[in-house]
Amino acid sequence: MKINVVKSVLEANDAVAQANRGRLDAAGILALNVTSAPGSGKTSLLEATIPALGEALASAVIVGDLQTTRDAERLGRLAAQVTQINTEGGCHLSAAQVAEALAGLDLADLAFVFIENVGNMVCPAGFDLGEHARVAMLSVPEGDDKVAKYPTLFQPADAIVLNKIDLIGVLDYDTSRVYDDLSKVNTSAPVIEMSVKTGQGLSEWTDWLRARRGAGAG
Amino acid sequence: MSIAVELVRQLEAVAAENGMVRVEAFGVTAGALRGIVPEALDLAFEAASVGTRAEGARIDLEIVQPRAHCRRCGMEFAIAIDSFLCPGCNHADAEMIVGNEIILTTVTGQGPEGDDGEDQRGQERAGGQ
Repeated sequence: MKINVVKSVLEANDAVAQANRGRLDAAGILALNVTSAPGSGKTSLLEATIPALGEALASAVIVGDLQTTRDAERLGRLAAQVTQINTEGGCHLSAAQVAEALAGLDLADLAFVFIENVGNMVCPAGFDLGEHARVAMLSVPEGDDKVAKYPTLFQPADAIVLNKIDLIGVLDYDTSRVYDDLSKVNTSAPVIEMSVKTGQGLSEWTDWLRARRGAGAG
Repeated sequence: MSIAVELVRQLEAVAAENGMVRVEAFGVTAGALRGIVPEALDLAFEAASVGTRAEGARIDLEIVQPRAHCRRCGMEFAIAIDSFLCPGCNHADAEMIVGNEIILTTVTGQGPEGDDGEDQRGQERAGGQ
């Protein structure tokens, strides 16, 4: 027998993602899905961002890694709720994992939930977690051809953070290549040149976050 | 891998609903932006389907070329994986219409009566049981 089905394989994930978004909306929280390669500085960015937003805009972090609780330990030193998800080999977070993490957070006084995805430039791009905005990060030591090589990560991004900008001049890095490649992939997202180490770009980034939250979580 | 696991879950559900004892083949349509590598999907599916009604089933994978809608000028256009530029206004502010989806389209398998699954004639050959 042959059965015609026509059913989305992502339907289960997408339904949970919608439920997550509804939950976050109800609490007035802006959720961000932060994606990049391993080592671009996602955790460092959040370590700098959370204090910079101030106590009035409290944040929680859901952090995904294949193994270890090291990122959660780093972020746990800040005044923020942190939940670590170990995917045990899984190369991206799923909406169900985020739902479980949200259930363990006290959403009452939060302004932001940062979901630090697994460091990977391919799979995280394809799964809605229930976020309101996507942030794609890249950093100078990775080379200036990242956008061209991984367009599907940068295409749906609402903001692009180019980190470790203080290393330009030390390394051969041509930012114009990044902008050229982005001109074919995504011309609507702002590109924030950042150095978490020196603080360059941090206020531009937190301004973007505040404006985005002000524009309504949905 | 998570795609293969979800496929197995849906195949089991379809098989159970239709009284299918074994899934022989199934059709999957995937958008090119998903970057599905057929060999990788085969391998993941093989691992995920062990011990289920879908074990050993053949995947008929069809890749769909992506199309997008320009948020600036409203034009609908075909995109290449390395360029999302709108030919109308030259901006890359594209909303995907197709290209990101993964759809289970058909499931072919053996019914409880020894139906060999391919078509009506198959049922006749197996008839009388």
